[in-house]
Amino acid sequence: MKIHVYAGLKDYFQPEFEVSGLVRNTDELKALLLTINDKAGAILSSCRFAVEEGFIDNAFKLNENDTIVIIPPSSGG
Amino acid sequence: MAAPSHPSGPAAASPGQAPAPEALSSEPLDIVGLLGGAHHPGAGAVVLFSGEVRDNNQGRAVSSLEYEAYAPLATSMIAEILATARQRWSLQTAVAQHRTGRVAVGDTAVVVITASAHRSEAYAANRYIIDRIKHEAPIWKCEHYADGTKEWGNNCNCHTVTGDVNKHIYETGG
Repeated sequence: MKIHVYAGLKDYFQPEFEVSGLVRNTDELKALLLTINDKAGAILSSCRFAVEEGFIDNAFKLNENDTIVIIPPSSGG
Repeated sequence: MAAPSHPSGPAAASPGQAPAPEALSSEPLDIVGLLGGAHHPGAGAVVLFSGEVRDNNQGRAVSSLEYEAYAPLATSMIAEILATARQRWSLQTAVAQHRTGRVAVGDTAVVVITASAHRSEAYAANRYIIDRIKHEAPIWKCEHYADGTKEWGNNCNCHTVTGDVNKHIYETGG
């Protein structure tokens, strides 16, 4: 499973990396990411997740071949 | 949610109007050119908002801002926001363009132009568009301070009030 992160998340993770193991939904992905960096809890709780350029929620069933984009709160303008 | 939720695609420009500009640009924004393409014979009002880089933030001197975007989704979201505004306010023109990369103090980071028969619709639609871009589009800014430090910041924090990362304060009032 490939992970892409942006903006402030890059202070906690590499911009692109892979994870393996049983990750069925975004809650399980967040839990796995916290094992990589336990300081990322606050920012992860405010993030949206996207697959194939569309937003997903925890009901979306993740696949091991998915590329997941983790999107921090916007700050454009 | 069984499948990813995709914003609708970009709307076509009205007949006789300039093609819609790209939603994101790594080059300085051509405000004059964008305004020139926004006029419409049915529009008695044109409103242009230019979001520009300020030289200070929370008491600290700012040297520049750096914008990053998740381009595929930001582009489709901005297109959906513009299409919604066009329909809701019967706009003749609705365009928006946002910078990516480093933007100097005084330069434009985002421009929104709306044109309608009367000014109230053009003002309201313009405010709607810039608010939604700032709150929802996956675009982020990094403040580069004069002391050499930098910080990602000024994030939308609506979720701390609404309890939902997909729900923003301006949406709770109906």
